[in-house]
Amino acid sequence: MKSKTFSRKSLRWLGMAMLPALLPAAVHADITLNGFASIRGTSVSSDGGLEPFPGFQEGELSFNPESLFALQAQADIGEGLTATIQLFGEGRNDFEVDARWAYLSYQLSDRHRLSAGRFANPIFHQSEYEKVGYAHNFSRLPKAVYIDFEFSTIEGIALDSQYNIGDYNLSTKVLFGGWSGEAFSAVTNNFVDFGMDNIISANAAFAGDWWQVFGGVFGAEIDGASIDSSTVFPLAAAGINAARNTGATAAQIDMFRSRIGWDGKDAFYWFSGFAIDHNNWLLDFEFVDYVVKDSTDATNQSWYVALGRRFDNVVVTVHTEDYAQSPDHAFLNGVTHPALLATGRGINNAFGQREFDGVGLSVRYDFHPSAALKVDYFSGTDTRAAVGDYKLMSFGIDLVF
Amino acid sequence: MKKFLIVGSLLVCQFAFAEVAVIVHPSNNNALDQATVAKIFLGREKSFADGNSAMPLALADAMPASGAFNDAVLKKSASQLKAYWSKLVFTGKGTPPKEISSDAEMLQLVATNPSVVGYIDASKVDASVKVALKF
Repeated sequence: MKSKTFSRKSLRWLGMAMLPALLPAAVHADITLNGFASIRGTSVSSDGGLEPFPGFQEGELSFNPESLFALQAQADIGEGLTATIQLFGEGRNDFEVDARWAYLSYQLSDRHRLSAGRFANPIFHQSEYEKVGYAHNFSRLPKAVYIDFEFSTIEGIALDSQYNIGDYNLSTKVLFGGWSGEAFSAVTNNFVDFGMDNIISANAAFAGDWWQVFGGVFGAEIDGASIDSSTVFPLAAAGINAARNTGATAAQIDMFRSRIGWDGKDAFYWFSGFAIDHNNWLLDFEFVDYVVKDSTDATNQSWYVALGRRFDNVVVTVHTEDYAQSPDHAFLNGVTHPALLATGRGINNAFGQREFDGVGLSVRYDFHPSAALKVDYFSGTDTRAAVGDYKLMSFGIDLVF
Repeated sequence: MKKFLIVGSLLVCQFAFAEVAVIVHPSNNNALDQATVAKIFLGREKSFADGNSAMPLALADAMPASGAFNDAVLKKSASQLKAYWSKLVFTGKGTPPKEISSDAEMLQLVATNPSVVGYIDASKVDASVKVALKF
């Protein structure tokens, strides 16, 4: 609910901010229209409809969850200034169109471009174009890494830079921003209000003709009062009562609550990896690590590796992925009461309970200059009892225009 | 049948060996090598060596010289190139070169703008432009 209100507010604000820019553009400059779309049918063998595969019905072919459409307009206002808006709708939201991106950019020099507004959050290497199916060879980027974070679009200011170093190319991005909306809790399998303030992110990619290495970091202060009140503290209520009944002092309980809560804590994300495309062999690897520090959140360390072979206009890719969490009870250092310790460990373990891994086979066929047909098979295991072993089969078309 | 095969082979050979010329305005005295041209057409270099801005123009996919240029200079197929630009266009990091649908239009645009760098079938080059590179 909150995210919708936020979204409309943002849309109005950004619309007002961009109107003066777009109107003169319509008069004095070209507006470039681009777009992308995916129409994908997927069948999953496991029931539950749990994240990260929401909306699927066991044994049925579902088109809604992974079909999407986007239209992007960029007005070149001249003197290096552009205004961009991207309207985006997904089947899983009944194709309700939202202004996913709306920002102004100014080309400071050949090397540097400054953007301000609402744009993609480069959480990991491919996050910015995660939804553009045509840009990669999978039906969906490996979920172990690209798990559909709600804060994939943020509002702020970003500096993109590009350098040529001999035969190599270095591209960097730094940004500052914030986000407010809802986030999925694997503990309760529900969405809760969530926010990130003072997001600071930096990433870089260094590339040659056929290889690329990349990495980045992303930090933010958690606005987590809602997840604390709806998830963390209710989970701890029985344990706190038990502790109180067995002699825990008010000071001990207050300290415990401050240790287990997320609100005001720092989230820290980082990623690194490489990509190779040489003699029609493709190899990609990405490792990510993230956690809300000093809280009940469990450290997530996930990765995928993919090997592909290009045969003219067909690419065959096999990949394996692993979504792993590591509960760490160090955040309870100083908590001495046994009931509080047991409660804190239990919540940390609950946040770290969900893991999954699997292997996939993807085939991409570029049957048209702007469209690719993709067929995909994935077999995975999720530690949640409601999901367990599952298999996905999907086919679809990704296109750009 | 044999005739068709021979004619087909000749056509393939002709396309395979047709020269492509990278062309610039006659006043453009910058030396361009293949790596620099690739950087300009992939959006990684926005200026010539003398500091003047470089505006690349590409031929439409249907033009034979387009495929030859993409293969030889950019080392990418048309689909790979489209995927490459998709990553940039939809992240606000770049826009692909404008596509020109005829050699005549390409010649005219290059001949009238010192910033433009384009390419055409080498046999179509005339005196209005300067050939910076041939392959």
